[in-house]
Amino acid sequence: MIWKPSGRRGLSKSLTRRQVLRRSLGGFLILYGGALPKTAAAGVPKYVHKQYKNTLKIIQWSHFVPAYDKWFDNTYTKSWGTKHDTDVQVDHIALAQLPARAQAEVAAQSGHDIFGHLSPQAGLEDQVINHKEIIQEVTRKVGKVSRVGYRSCYNPKTRKWHGFPENYVPDPIHFRKDLWRQVGIKPSTWDDIRKAAPKLKALGHPVGLGMSNELDSNMMLIALMQCYGAFMQNSHAQPTINSKRTIEALKTMRDIYKRGMTNEVFAWTAASNNQGYLSGRLSLAVNAISIIRSAEDANPALAQNTSVAPIPRGPVQRLGLEHVMGVYTIWKFSKQKALAKRFIADLETNYQGAFKNSKFYNFPAFRGAVHNYARQLAADPHKGKYKVLDLIARKYTVNVGYPGFSNAAIDEIFNTWLIPQMFAQVAQGKMTPAEAARAAQHEFKPIFAKWRARGKI
Amino acid sequence: MWATLRERGVSYLIVGPFAIVLAFPFYWMLVTAFKTNGDLYNLNHVPFTYHASPPALGEKLTFQHDHWLPFGFDHATTSHINFIFSDTNYLRWVENTAVVGGLVVLITLLLAVPAGYSLARLSGRWGQSVGVGIFLTYLVPPTLLFLPLSRVISKLGLQDRLWSLVLVYPSFTIPFATWLLMGFFRTIPAELEDAALVDGCSRLKALARVIFPISIPGILTVVIFSFSLCVNEFVYAITFISGTKQHTISAGVPNDLIRGDVYFWQSLMAATLIPSIPLALLYNSFLNRFIAGFTGGAFR
Amino acid sequence: MAAVAEAGPQSRRFRDLLEDRRFLAPALISPAALFIVLLVGAPLVLAVYLSMTDATAGQLTGKFVWFHNFTDAWHNDNFRRALRNTIVFTLASQAIVLVGAGILAHALVRPFRGRWFLRLLILLPWAAPVAVSTIGFLWIFDSQFSVVNWTLVHDLLPGGGHFYLYKPVNWVLGVIDHLPWVHVGKIDRLNPPQWLGQPTLAMLAIIFVQAWRILPFATVIFIAGLSSIPTEVHDAAKVDGATGLRKFWHVTLPLQLPIATVALLFGIVFTATDMTVVYILTSGGPFNSTHMLTTWAYQTGIVSSNLGEGAAISLYLLPVLLVVTVLMLRFARKVEVS
Repeated sequence: MIWKPSGRRGLSKSLTRRQVLRRSLGGFLILYGGALPKTAAAGVPKYVHKQYKNTLKIIQWSHFVPAYDKWFDNTYTKSWGTKHDTDVQVDHIALAQLPARAQAEVAAQSGHDIFGHLSPQAGLEDQVINHKEIIQEVTRKVGKVSRVGYRSCYNPKTRKWHGFPENYVPDPIHFRKDLWRQVGIKPSTWDDIRKAAPKLKALGHPVGLGMSNELDSNMMLIALMQCYGAFMQNSHAQPTINSKRTIEALKTMRDIYKRGMTNEVFAWTAASNNQGYLSGRLSLAVNAISIIRSAEDANPALAQNTSVAPIPRGPVQRLGLEHVMGVYTIWKFSKQKALAKRFIADLETNYQGAFKNSKFYNFPAFRGAVHNYARQLAADPHKGKYKVLDLIARKYTVNVGYPGFSNAAIDEIFNTWLIPQMFAQVAQGKMTPAEAARAAQHEFKPIFAKWRARGKI
Repeated sequence: MWATLRERGVSYLIVGPFAIVLAFPFYWMLVTAFKTNGDLYNLNHVPFTYHASPPALGEKLTFQHDHWLPFGFDHATTSHINFIFSDTNYLRWVENTAVVGGLVVLITLLLAVPAGYSLARLSGRWGQSVGVGIFLTYLVPPTLLFLPLSRVISKLGLQDRLWSLVLVYPSFTIPFATWLLMGFFRTIPAELEDAALVDGCSRLKALARVIFPISIPGILTVVIFSFSLCVNEFVYAITFISGTKQHTISAGVPNDLIRGDVYFWQSLMAATLIPSIPLALLYNSFLNRFIAGFTGGAFR
Repeated sequence: MAAVAEAGPQSRRFRDLLEDRRFLAPALISPAALFIVLLVGAPLVLAVYLSMTDATAGQLTGKFVWFHNFTDAWHNDNFRRALRNTIVFTLASQAIVLVGAGILAHALVRPFRGRWFLRLLILLPWAAPVAVSTIGFLWIFDSQFSVVNWTLVHDLLPGGGHFYLYKPVNWVLGVIDHLPWVHVGKIDRLNPPQWLGQPTLAMLAIIFVQAWRILPFATVIFIAGLSSIPTEVHDAAKVDGATGLRKFWHVTLPLQLPIATVALLFGIVFTATDMTVVYILTSGGPFNSTHMLTTWAYQTGIVSSNLGEGAAISLYLLPVLLVVTVLMLRFARKVEVS
């Protein structure tokens, strides 16, 4: 086997190609090089702030309202930093990557001083400090923490605050006034929705209640259960999902699905109900106010036709959940614990800025941290539509795991989508409601047993 | 003549459908990147062309006066593409990806070329086993390794810095490169080296003077493959680096263009297209050189 | 020779050493081997240790539970489904890639007009970073705005002809329905298929995306293999009178076998150990029906903080892949020798 050099023909062909490629690559590099000075001028952050004594590193999600992040990163943290001689560095991360990032920091035993989660992280209890000092300080200044905050971040068994509840987001329903008027029903109870669903589907505007492995579905379905008096656990942290009330809730959802929705709801992402509603197709969605805020920007006519209301009433009560809860945690290995505590306390006691800049998305977990909710919400240019948020936040919002605490078992059940799975299987006819409730209890028991054995509940 | 025409027809018939299926998503991305929000989220609009829609906040209809444009392009907008450059650190991410890729390729070559040569020429029986052993490292998924590696990275003080990636990426490019080069070196006839050795070269000199120039195509292949492995890597990029200015493309795009439950689809599409086209051009050109070196005279 | 003989005894000894295979071989391999041992071997040992403990939430230590995690995992329905899915996913996508790349490579070795451009299009899926291109597929398969569904159910020639793509597709599906053991539904115009929401369709979507992104990679390897067949072989074949299909079967295919085996092996390994496509497209799918071992391990170990269990699940992959690898390598060597 003799090695042959490239033939003449092959060589000349590749030469002309190479010329073309070289020129285009060169052009690209020139364009890119032109952009380089701009990025180079941005500089490396640490050199700009070398004059500060301390450094505080925070990581939290990319807020759906970009303006909030701009305010937080560029205004609030900068001014706080100047007052405390600290360089505050804020990193953002996508929602889905939060758990991986948190665990990597634990494994590495180094990372950010303040970690902003979007749900109480009972599972990380052993890795974080006891946040009770911050709670006490803020309580002193603005009053008690709300019921939601207390039950989300406190562990009664270990008597430890495994996180600081910073904010929570009320979860209203959005519905199309015009369409519901057409069918002559108001979505004030779940039964109303059950009745209206087939009529709205016939109009081509079905209701949008997801049963997929994502946050919106999880929250909505647990809230539905609560309205029917069905709970995942009782106040003694024992699984109670297998009950007649759960079966009622499952039947309702199955009914709504069969007569009023299509199987797209099993494939939804957290964005799907937003997009479906914004396209004008869905007539109802259970979601934080991200939908209507997006509509105000992109489709003002749609926003005008949209009403915001509390979660529908079930046969037992009207009770919803927080859509997300902003929880700040400080790692045990952080070297800036005192500074971190100060930052969080300051942020919470003066929550007015965050409340306004998040466009009323973030409600403080300490009710007293903001004054005059009613007046501010009413002053919103969109004709007082948001006034109802205060009512929802005060009366109709409880923590995940109510009537118990948001403990590690509830955390695990929530993160593994066991509730949407249960509802989806019933809706699709794969299991009867009774079987599904029993199966869920069967799945819950070992989870609760495991965390009990670890001394966490 | 008919034979060549038929041959050519067959070629188009086979390659055409593949090219369409493989490239359609990118065409789709191109179309979507220019859509306005009102147009994109409207189920009644044809997705392949552009339509008038109520203007959204911050969207500029760049072409609105050019009614001669086809496909309704006068209703398109470049605002979402601009968003990537104005509101995120996209260019920085591209730069980071290129730098990490380049350094990792360099390290890979430095370590894999000697290793591949050694396994191909010098090692005999145990070389096979070591070769297999090196390959076995691929069987361990990164989802398992990233936590222990985080500890290593932080102990070395490399957390949140690009050097962490430069350190870790060769762990999956080197085995692959060694394998490729091992197979490649084996196909080079031993007579060439023996000739050089007879002429008085030391083995290392033979490696440098004789083998290396001939194996340029193999080395280029390793360069392309290693670079593409680096660009595609996702798990480590997200875990080891959290500062948005230090992200690579794989880490930065999902982080900054997906905010909570709002996906910035048009920007996401543009963000995918922008590195893909130059990279594909680059790979294609390397491929040409590589094949030109081989097929001189093989298929006419 | 003379130059070497004239050098002093010490440098000669060193140079002799460099010439000695027994020294040079390990010396050249050791940097690479060391790198791999440190960055893969050591974390792997730690991971094995973790899988035998009850570690949670990122902490790298825990109480020993020996093989409890492994047996626990096995008793979980979701795990068994994940194992099955991994096998189906890997085999199906790699089968598509193997056949597709083989055909494509053959067509691409011959030069023809426009080959450079078509090759560019074919290389695109491989050039795009997989995380972002998969996000693009999220939009292509979206539950409401999927362009695939739009193309299927809308009138593609509104002006005159009125052509609906779902009609011929339904005809084909109807034919397939007549086959035994296979049951496919039809496309309903008002309720188009949920590519990511229906378990079977979701598996198909994932397999498609994985095959889509690996195909260019495999094609390049195949082209390299084809190009390395020396001209003498083709000349000899021509002399022997073997052309076209016969030549393919008796000459090209056997010569391609080693490279095909390598391509298949890498494809299998990259597919079985990668979680990006599944994680981004379905995150485990409509009610956990599209979980692979990697995503299930991620879900258990990271999202649910059961680190020990997650490590155990990941490690299940190792023996399976080991057996596959050894078998295929042996096969490749046998073919190469002959």
